[in-house]
Amino acid sequence: MDYDVLVVGSGIGGMESALKLGDMGYKVLVVEKEPSIGGKMILLSKVFPTLDCASCISTPKMAATAHHPNVTVLTGSEVARIGRDERDGFHATVHRKPRFVDESLCTGCRQCEVACTVAVPDQFNGDMVSRRAAYIPFPQALPQKALIERVGTSPCSFNCPAGIKAHGYVSLVRTGEYEKAFALVAETTPLAGSLGRACYAPCETECTRGSLEGPLAIRRLKRFVADTHYALPEPPAVDRLASNGKRVAVVGSGPAGLTAAWQLARKGYGVKIFEAAPEPGGALRLAIPSYRLPAEVVERDIANVTDLGVEIATDTRVEDLEQLRRDGFDAVLVATGTPNAARLRVPGEEELDGVRSALGFLRDIKLGEAPDLSGKVVAVIGGGNVAIDTARSARRLGVAAVHMVCLESRAEMPAYQWEVDEALDEGVELHDGWGIAGFRGDPRVESVELRLCTSVFDENGRFSPSYDDSVRDELSCDLAIVAVGMGADTAAFPELVPEGARSIQADPATLQTAVPWVFSAGDAVTGPTTIAEAVGHGRKAAFMIDGWLSGSELAGFDEPLPVVDRAEVLARQRSHSRREPLVTEVHVAGALASFAELEDPLTEAEARAAAGRCLDCGVCSECHECIAACPADAINLDMRAKDVEIDIGAVIVSTGYKLFPADLKPQYGYGRFQNVITGTQMERLLAPTRPYNTVLRPSDGKVPERVAYVMCTGSRDQTVGNPLCSKFCCMYSIKQNQLIMGVLPLADVTVHYIDIRAVGKGYDEFFEQAKAMGTNFVKGRVAGITEKENGDLVLRFEDIDNGGVLAEAEYDLVVLAVGVQPNADASHLFAPGELALDEYAYVDEVAEDLNPAATSIPGVFVAGAASGPRDIPESILHAGAAVSQAAAHLERMKVPA
Amino acid sequence: MSGRRIGVYVCHCGGNISDYVDVERVVQAVKDNDDVVVVRDAMFTCSDATQQEIATDIAEQQLDGLVVASCSPKLHTFTFRDVARRAGLNPYEYTQVNIREQCSWTHTDDRDGATRKAVKLVRAGIARTRLSEPLEPLEVETMPRVLVIGGGIAGMRAAIGLADIGLSVFLVERKLELGGWVGGFGEMFPHAKKGRALIAELKDEIKRRPAITVFTNAELTAKSGTYGNYRAVVRANGESIELEVGQIVVTTGFDSYEPEAGQYGYGIDGVLTLPEFKRLLDESEGPLLHEGKPVRNIAYVYCVGSRDAEHPYCSRFCCSAAVHASLLAVDRDADIRQYHLYRDLRTYGKNELMFNESRKRGSLYLKFADDDLPKVARNDDGLSVTVRDLLTAGEEVTIAADLVVLVTGMVPRQNEELVRTLKLPVGQDGFFNEIHPKLRPVETVVDGVMIAGACQGPKTSAESVASGLAAVAQGAAVLKRGVAELDPQVAVVNVSACTSCGECVAACPFGAISLTTTNGSDGPGVAVIDAAACKGCGGCVPVCPEDAIDLKGYTDSQVRAMIDGLLVGAET
Repeated sequence: MDYDVLVVGSGIGGMESALKLGDMGYKVLVVEKEPSIGGKMILLSKVFPTLDCASCISTPKMAATAHHPNVTVLTGSEVARIGRDERDGFHATVHRKPRFVDESLCTGCRQCEVACTVAVPDQFNGDMVSRRAAYIPFPQALPQKALIERVGTSPCSFNCPAGIKAHGYVSLVRTGEYEKAFALVAETTPLAGSLGRACYAPCETECTRGSLEGPLAIRRLKRFVADTHYALPEPPAVDRLASNGKRVAVVGSGPAGLTAAWQLARKGYGVKIFEAAPEPGGALRLAIPSYRLPAEVVERDIANVTDLGVEIATDTRVEDLEQLRRDGFDAVLVATGTPNAARLRVPGEEELDGVRSALGFLRDIKLGEAPDLSGKVVAVIGGGNVAIDTARSARRLGVAAVHMVCLESRAEMPAYQWEVDEALDEGVELHDGWGIAGFRGDPRVESVELRLCTSVFDENGRFSPSYDDSVRDELSCDLAIVAVGMGADTAAFPELVPEGARSIQADPATLQTAVPWVFSAGDAVTGPTTIAEAVGHGRKAAFMIDGWLSGSELAGFDEPLPVVDRAEVLARQRSHSRREPLVTEVHVAGALASFAELEDPLTEAEARAAAGRCLDCGVCSECHECIAACPADAINLDMRAKDVEIDIGAVIVSTGYKLFPADLKPQYGYGRFQNVITGTQMERLLAPTRPYNTVLRPSDGKVPERVAYVMCTGSRDQTVGNPLCSKFCCMYSIKQNQLIMGVLPLADVTVHYIDIRAVGKGYDEFFEQAKAMGTNFVKGRVAGITEKENGDLVLRFEDIDNGGVLAEAEYDLVVLAVGVQPNADASHLFAPGELALDEYAYVDEVAEDLNPAATSIPGVFVAGAASGPRDIPESILHAGAAVSQAAAHLERMKVPA
Repeated sequence: MSGRRIGVYVCHCGGNISDYVDVERVVQAVKDNDDVVVVRDAMFTCSDATQQEIATDIAEQQLDGLVVASCSPKLHTFTFRDVARRAGLNPYEYTQVNIREQCSWTHTDDRDGATRKAVKLVRAGIARTRLSEPLEPLEVETMPRVLVIGGGIAGMRAAIGLADIGLSVFLVERKLELGGWVGGFGEMFPHAKKGRALIAELKDEIKRRPAITVFTNAELTAKSGTYGNYRAVVRANGESIELEVGQIVVTTGFDSYEPEAGQYGYGIDGVLTLPEFKRLLDESEGPLLHEGKPVRNIAYVYCVGSRDAEHPYCSRFCCSAAVHASLLAVDRDADIRQYHLYRDLRTYGKNELMFNESRKRGSLYLKFADDDLPKVARNDDGLSVTVRDLLTAGEEVTIAADLVVLVTGMVPRQNEELVRTLKLPVGQDGFFNEIHPKLRPVETVVDGVMIAGACQGPKTSAESVASGLAAVAQGAAVLKRGVAELDPQVAVVNVSACTSCGECVAACPFGAISLTTTNGSDGPGVAVIDAAACKGCGGCVPVCPEDAIDLKGYTDSQVRAMIDGLLVGAET
């Protein structure tokens, strides 16, 4: 048996149980789902009827629990399931949620909290103020250790093929930390400038704001960050490890190769890039038109890599991998992309002048050798992104007309719709749904012969066009540019292309090829993809090469938390202001005169506003600021949940209660009227660690002069399905009355009640004391609350003491005395139905008359409010009842049957 | 300079102190005091984080004295002694200075004055600590036996609970039979079981446990000895029996309020107290009859003997009990008319369901004002109750009733002898007082004497049982270990100065001092203090004409030093 007793929940009932059992010499495990022990009591102001400070009673119990030699505490953990074993004992699975902070290292210094860029409502302060995603729950929390709230990976980050922490840099921009945002992107890739312009931004497609006013301009924020960094006179040096003496050759300098080289160089490898073309950058430098991605930007991105000492040998075609090995490279990455243009294989394509490939055409332009097309008619064949780039580039070379011919209907075109729109805006003429039968002319092309395409894909969705050859057309042109796909150039690497394969083969998990020291990444292995995907692949290759060269297992690359459900993100917003997305203006007029960049950069104000729209879907943005700030190196975002299996002799269920959600009484306006708050929120306003340091009303910070209490909110109320009395709301309200009158001696306090239930030692006397201090008790229910323009509230109520008339009164602040509801956690501890509940879903005390705290399961006891409303003294006595019977159960287990 | 290394911690108490005392000024004022090597302030000194900080300071700064200026020592002495112990410092090198109850809370209108007072209090604390010396707690072996006084449901269940954890129990009941009030009850709420049946079940359980010895017709007549080792004298059936026990649990229950003659017509035929009415229900079957006449109309008057000038407390159970009784009545006669005249209906928690059911089944509820009580009279037609009902706009209503039930509350049972024997603390309401309702709810200021059930305050039967079991848990936490630690801050006699005058013996409220006559054959003897019995109250110290007694932890020199500390720098 690992422990004698498992105590589930560490509120006052749980702590009391653990301490008493520990004192008796039993070994106790306390499992608490919150990050601190203490339950609800530690968050109270003072406690009735003695007006002791709640902290003063709770903190010593918390410390005693945590330090008791016989008590072990697991916070941030949930009991997943308890099952009976064969000896009257139990087996339990405890699910330990990751804290993302190593408790043994954290000193509670709160540096992470200061550095954290995400603010969310502070649940430990009644959501009235905010806290950070990295936080220590409250000043008296135990353990006094930070944790990071991560509900999952934000959709933008999760969907980035490059693996860039998009939410992170958005969050840093929001905070004004542009340089840190750049550094965060640079953790992944040196190509921030290029991606900030030419990435197709799947992050934005998935942005949760997209289902509200429109997604954040995440890509443009990256461009802003890159531009800002590149404008620095002296950009800070990049963190890198000392040289490890190993060398890696990277073949190809496209996004995959550059990213891999960057990652490896920062890890201390000596890296040399071999590039066949005269300029490095691959598609970035040689294919993507400058109006989308200027060459200087690519060059600046590449300078990040060369600044690390990475050598790039251009005009150098690698023909012999073995030679690289002989030259002293420990590993080689082949990231040669897809330089070979696909062909139509139709008559005239090979033979005629003036029929050429799009890749060559774009490359010529990017290398400064743009053809003069003045007055010419150009036909571009293809419907993808390259075809669009080609057509739009041609438009900038003085053509008379550009025709785009593609098999697909417009809706089916593989190019992004917005790209097609922009091309059409620029005057490109689209001929969709046509196949190419051949090219005519002699020796120069004069026209393209078209045939009707009846379908592009077969029934399995595979590319398999069929044509109606009877329907034909002809398109005159001076130049035909074919943009129908591209492929890898494998000629130099026969050892990487196995028998029967047509492309380089690498293990998809490790990117290792048949030659162990050769890895391959990017489009060379995947076929044509996007820049971001190539970047992601390059980073993965670097990870694997590093792993292989340092002899570790080739696993563990990028294991993000599951993506956050966007519907849940929207559901958890209590309110959010409407924030319009940026309007992107594209200057078509004049654009055709040059290859100048089309898109304007964001101004700083625009960038901050754009980033400010972020909903912090995953809560933690993975901006890594906490990691940088932590002096103890305690932060570990790679922590994951784990299950612990334990055997125990007895169980005490002390899962407490839930508070009634006050918005379920819409007539009281909670959630709509800012100055209608709950009793628990008033507790926080009165607590020693109060958020505003006095009692203020939330809407305007005014000191309230007229405060009303609405008793029985959610209790004794059939309309919300709870006929039960919550037992302690009368008393906590009476306590708050007295405290308010202490803090605000001029305030008038009125309590609208049904019956004042001051049952308990000294309670009725406490009630009389409140009356004597001046609380005005008005018998009768409150029918509804309306809000005035200035935030004041009008209560409509029955005044029974004055003849039962309906009356109205105005207040500055209204406190809803919310009652309790059962906590469903208790019912999930055991197999369904095993732990009996009463008809209101509280844990049933099956023999309350003689064995209070005993449940339907022998050996399982309930302590405190898990079995019904109980105040603190009652919960403590009830815990005593649970403890004495749990001890009796354990003693019986010791006796052999 | 005494060469001591003292750490001083000044607590904000989250504003409880710092709202009224300038904590930073206090820190500044004492930081250069002799022997003070570290001074810090903290939001909550009792929080675990600050506890850790203190422990680190003790280790790193090699502190040999600790002062925490915070709240009452009643709250946190043990907390910080424990910190000291964990950090390797003798716990008695610790002084708690109360700058909350005795300073900030009492001077909320004078920040400057409160701050100056706090400085002085802290200096006095430092002065005491400078002269402190390590003390070791007295360890006493405890008897694994418990005396339970009162054989009602709480005492019986506690006895069983103690036996089930391996302790021996002596259960003492004044009456001839175990069972108390519940033993006389019929159907009870909320479980609808008969009280008699519950008690019968407990009696069976007790019989099955040889570890429980029952004394009926028995009373405690004397108690002596010290914590964990008491000698109790029980007179059972006229015979005195001496028992050795480690602890005592008092479960002597309550009395039902007896209305005065004429109060709400009490004394008139047909006006019954709640227990009388319950007996009527229990002892008959079929339609209710009173004195042979059918009962068709019942008026209940609530809060009789509760929430009034003489009994300012609420008796808690009676609303629910009366509502439950009215449900039993309507079970017997579905057409019965029942009127409940109440002030606040306190069917708390799940008992609310009974209240709802009673209304569904025809009970009418009329609310009267605290200062406008119903009047019960007898006229030719029978009983009449007149009440001004707030629920019908203050209309005066007269109810013709066959029975008037006075919903009587609980009053403390008169137990002078027991109070005297055990020195039990009695609260303003006449019930026995716990040390603290949350921190130590079943313990009394008398070590090893616990209270449970309705003798501590009004409770339902199930609540009494729960508190009885809580006493079991509390008791077992000490007795299962077999060893108890006692505070070593006790009085000691300087035998060379003692003249055996006996003044101290007379002054000691705990009987801890005796005079020996065996100190040599011809000497006058000396005073001897039983450390286990001494409570460290210090009462003997000033009465000693020879100044021969000192109190460890509060020696004369320490007290003088504290006074000096209070007076130094009066202008600060």
